[in-house]
Amino acid sequence: MTDEMTIMEKLGILSDAAKYDVACTSSGVERKGNGKDMGNCKAGGICHSFSADGRCISLLKILFTNECIYDCKYCINRKSNDVPRATFTPEEVCSLTMQFYRRNYIEGLFLSSGIIKSPDFTMELIYTTVFLLRKKYLFNGYIHVKAIPGADARLIQMTGFLADRMSVNLELPTAEGLRSLAPNKHRKNILTPMRQIQNGIAENKNEIALYRNAPRFVEAGQSTQMIIGATPESDYQIMSVAEGLYDKFALKRVFYSAFVNVNEDSTLPALPGGPPLLREHRLYQADWLLRFYGFRAGELLDEKRPFFNVMLDPKADWAVRHLEQFPVEVNRASYEMILRVPGIGVKSAQRIIKARRTANLDFDALRKIGVVLKRALYFITCNGRMMYHTKLQEDYIVRNLTEEKGNLYFARDGVTYRQISLFDDANFDSVPTVIDRQQAVFGQL
Amino acid sequence: MEEKILICEDTLEGVFAAIYEVYAGHYAKESVRIQVREDENYRLFAEYIKVETDCAKAVKVMRTLREKFGEDAYKDLCLALTTEDSEKAQAVYRTVELGLRMSREKRGVRIMDHLAEDHVRKVMELSRAANNELMHLRGFLRFQELSNGILYAKIGPRDNILSLLAPHFADRLSGENFLIYDHKRNQVVVHPAGEDWYMVQGINQSMQDNLERIGADYSYAEKEYQELFQFFCNKISIKERENKDLQRSMLPLRFQKYMTEFMPK
Repeated sequence: MTDEMTIMEKLGILSDAAKYDVACTSSGVERKGNGKDMGNCKAGGICHSFSADGRCISLLKILFTNECIYDCKYCINRKSNDVPRATFTPEEVCSLTMQFYRRNYIEGLFLSSGIIKSPDFTMELIYTTVFLLRKKYLFNGYIHVKAIPGADARLIQMTGFLADRMSVNLELPTAEGLRSLAPNKHRKNILTPMRQIQNGIAENKNEIALYRNAPRFVEAGQSTQMIIGATPESDYQIMSVAEGLYDKFALKRVFYSAFVNVNEDSTLPALPGGPPLLREHRLYQADWLLRFYGFRAGELLDEKRPFFNVMLDPKADWAVRHLEQFPVEVNRASYEMILRVPGIGVKSAQRIIKARRTANLDFDALRKIGVVLKRALYFITCNGRMMYHTKLQEDYIVRNLTEEKGNLYFARDGVTYRQISLFDDANFDSVPTVIDRQQAVFGQL
Repeated sequence: MEEKILICEDTLEGVFAAIYEVYAGHYAKESVRIQVREDENYRLFAEYIKVETDCAKAVKVMRTLREKFGEDAYKDLCLALTTEDSEKAQAVYRTVELGLRMSREKRGVRIMDHLAEDHVRKVMELSRAANNELMHLRGFLRFQELSNGILYAKIGPRDNILSLLAPHFADRLSGENFLIYDHKRNQVVVHPAGEDWYMVQGINQSMQDNLERIGADYSYAEKEYQELFQFFCNKISIKERENKDLQRSMLPLRFQKYMTEFMPK
């Protein structure tokens, strides 16, 4: 059926089908070339190009096949859809990866797949491909593969020793959502491989501590993604789920994907305004606050306020509701508190801490070390003085913060905003990476 | 008092050799300036002095800087000197001067932390800009396979970062023969498979012509992969989210003109 297709046709179908997968990061592993195989890895990841939607192209992101035995309502490749189908061979994937990589088009391979025949059969094909790529084609660059829920744990384990990152898609934020839109998938089946990979990574860390040359298992950690806006969950529910995944499953990243209605199914919400990009953007901002700013989901939202403020980013929104904690004196406040000031990011906060060791800081000094004061000025003092005669009042600050935002493009894609910065963060477990940073908001949170 | 302005070659070695001259006691540390170019308008009451690049002297300065300030700060100084900024040599010199002065009182000076100092901040800004350029090119550089199997890349970077870019590709593609040609600065990095890379500077016109010419002589397979990649980039974009402004701000046009996926078909 697909045997006579050219590589070009297969690539067309199988990259088109993979485009809704969000994660395209190549970060998390630093691996030097070994002098004989091709490739190395940079911890910060590398963006090789940007597609017309402004998203980073870092990996050759393809499906192995878009055949699928499942019928998830939101998915373009569901069984009941009449779309052209194609399946690569493992060798085809390998040679495409190698040839793209040596021309510096990509950082490596991101291999996902529809479910062909059975989860085991599919996982075995993925394993075979990755095995060939590493052992026959001697590829030493970045590999991200999906673990297929329901596949044999041993297959997932073996794949993990060849891949840098693995991910299991959560698909939808809650079990109810999954039941209504993905009748063939079960929450438990998704969480099982996630837990397995988490345990594998933890064990592997111990092994590496004992034997420096022990084989690495999913060194760049695991991630997941969920679709936003196809089911009725609130932002608060979504953030709580994300927080749980970071806390309980030690995930590196949770990705949020604004729902794109490709199937016109009656059970799916109609989206006359296009995909909910602003909502997705706010979720990424809040995700950033969880991972790098020491916030908890319960601080940002609660049962009574389950959705993010459309007009204000989550950090500013939190600040105006907690004015009793402001203004913050930059010459004395703790790093954690400075981080909570709207307009001051990780990089700026670190610079403040460094610079105030050698000099007393006034507003001019802050500006000189690159702190943007536009928003911060309502929340800070230097030596006890505010910058202007601003009032510490919710209405007043909200009005000023939102007026300034005439230049905000709400419809823009939250995944790809660049936060221009160059920092390494010693105060949290994980370090924001180049690509991560580009996925943060423009300016600073 | 007449100001002394040292004019040195626009290289790391050139600037470091000039700094050596100052510390050799020939000039007053506070009033001397170091520049890589002469001013367009000559300044009154200033004496312009050409400093020859002396690698032995430069190496001594490099060693001192690494010892006193550490590897990271040294890297910032070097990166700052790869930019095209006309004040870069002066900013680096004053930063070094401040650091050495402080290190006389205390060991382990973290010179780049002193961001309240104008010159240090300037060096930091320049270093960041050059480092961004370097990181961009690690991703945006494109190789083409020539008909003889050699990989060839042409770049025109804003900053002079070719020598900092080469180690990355030498590590990554150790088994490949490759060339990276910076046509703005007439220099090329050559990496023979399995061997160390080297850089050829100041290449002559006929060699430049040669380098331009071989860029068009690519292999049969090359064309196929270029088309596959163009097709891939096209397919991976989500139509409902299209945002060309965002694309351009992430990937400025000055890079796009060298990149396979933006070549006219």
